[in-house]
Amino acid sequence: MAVAEQAQPASRAVRARQRRVREEELLVWPDLVFVEFISAVLFLGLLAILSVLVDAILLDQANPAVTPNPSKAPWYFLNLQELLLHMHPALAGVIVPTVALIALGAIPYFDTSNDYQGEWLTSPRAWPNLVVGAVVGTVGTTLLIFYDASFHVRFYEWIVNPGEDRFLPGLSEDGQPIDNPDFNAWPESLNWLKSLRSLQTEVNWPTELEAIPLGSKVLRTDLLGLPAIDLDVNFPAMVVEQIIPVGAMVGLPLLLSAAAWKVGLAQTRRDHMILQFSGFIAVYVILTIIGTFFRGEGLELVPYTIFAHH
Amino acid sequence: MATTEQPQGRSLGDRLYDGAFKNRLWKSIFRSGYPNTPRNQMLAVATNVFLHLHPTRIHRTHVKITHTFCLGGLSFFLFLGLTITGVLLMFYYVPSVERAYGDILALDTDVRFGKLMRNLHRWMAHGMVLTVLMHMMRVFYTGAYKPPREFNWVVGVVLLVLTLLLSFTGYLLPWDQLALWAITVGTNMVGSAPLLGEPNRFVLVGGFQVGQAALIRFYTLHVIGLPLLAAIFMTVHFWRIRRDGGLARPL
Repeated sequence: MAVAEQAQPASRAVRARQRRVREEELLVWPDLVFVEFISAVLFLGLLAILSVLVDAILLDQANPAVTPNPSKAPWYFLNLQELLLHMHPALAGVIVPTVALIALGAIPYFDTSNDYQGEWLTSPRAWPNLVVGAVVGTVGTTLLIFYDASFHVRFYEWIVNPGEDRFLPGLSEDGQPIDNPDFNAWPESLNWLKSLRSLQTEVNWPTELEAIPLGSKVLRTDLLGLPAIDLDVNFPAMVVEQIIPVGAMVGLPLLLSAAAWKVGLAQTRRDHMILQFSGFIAVYVILTIIGTFFRGEGLELVPYTIFAHH
Repeated sequence: MATTEQPQGRSLGDRLYDGAFKNRLWKSIFRSGYPNTPRNQMLAVATNVFLHLHPTRIHRTHVKITHTFCLGGLSFFLFLGLTITGVLLMFYYVPSVERAYGDILALDTDVRFGKLMRNLHRWMAHGMVLTVLMHMMRVFYTGAYKPPREFNWVVGVVLLVLTLLLSFTGYLLPWDQLALWAITVGTNMVGSAPLLGEPNRFVLVGGFQVGQAALIRFYTLHVIGLPLLAAIFMTVHFWRIRRDGGLARPL
């Protein structure tokens, strides 16, 4: 490598500092200050117009006795609230966001080269990695949510039951199951594949697995001065709420990176970072969109907007 | 035959210029003359505490709008706008469960420009979450987190968290159904953390459910605690941009 042959400066930071090219420089006044001033004026104007046209939302006075259905967090946390529907609350509410933020902060300590900085996506394979990451993140997340909402069951029943009102044909108008001998329902032997939760509820787990006593010596909360906790592990619930979600959130991105590496799409650390970051942004956006616009009463997966309900 | 007439003494424009920018008052405020020469333009930036956030000169690619889309600057602009509208809203708002909702209604109906201030505050808050997220994407895709800017990226992640917390704490203040239940849902998520979740939720909410204690806590965090923290981290963030050699560009 060319760099290795040169004398190494004291630190990476010193080596990385770019040289100034005076003839390529502009004066901050006026060239930057005016751009800043104009964009500030422009955005103040746009925001003022927006604020005149669209009022901030205000519902009825807070009432702890009346729980709205659905109750939603602010929109930028609806991605986490969406995760809450698919996994253990400790994961969705605390562990996943904490790990995600630490991983975000760790990006520069993983991708330590200073090639291709200061320009939009100029490294080779940057765009393909961005597109693949974004598409896989979007489609993968959507499919997983569809799976947990049993859309594949509805799709199957729609396919195998030809006829006029075959959409949701196993249910009457008020949502009650109809006793219809001609109706081909999802095969009972595959009931455990109806959704993530049915892996727990539709499988005859041995009862001893549903409460494995681990005693008070596992979580030593007494050492923290808190009451001791007798830990009973519900293994089927643990599979559904913790093992599979963690496996999916850790395993699928790793699988994506491994596959991209195998086919030569992601070769450098920067490639992997673009792939993963784009996937992360796509997942964040799609979870936010679904949480905001497609979770209605009881947080069912249906189109929803707060404005139509108030 | 045309002759070039030399003006007798100074022109009116020159005299007005000198009168406006070369008097004792102007010089006592700005030190340098009007920034119409390169020297004065650099002095204008270097000797002004606010403009001094910038270097005096900058690489020409950094002025291109499509390089940054002004996203970091816009986030800071929105922070300033939120501070100004927020201070004005504080004149009318009392963080008590008996008064808060009524104060918001009064802002919308009784206070001159009250509704405009509240709307501006709300839209700027949503806008700031968006611009901060997009700024993070811009920095990532331009590879601007690379050495020597690693730590400033970390400071940026902290600022993202602070932005979300600022918005979240402000969400409760109108004390309507949306506010109460969004914060209930959000703080319940905190409570679901293993072991220390419930104690943490209790501290945050100041009780078992979102009520007066939560309102005063969120209000205090929203109007003073978190903005101070954000200002400190922003100072570090901006300082580090200068220290690390301005915006990233190809080596």
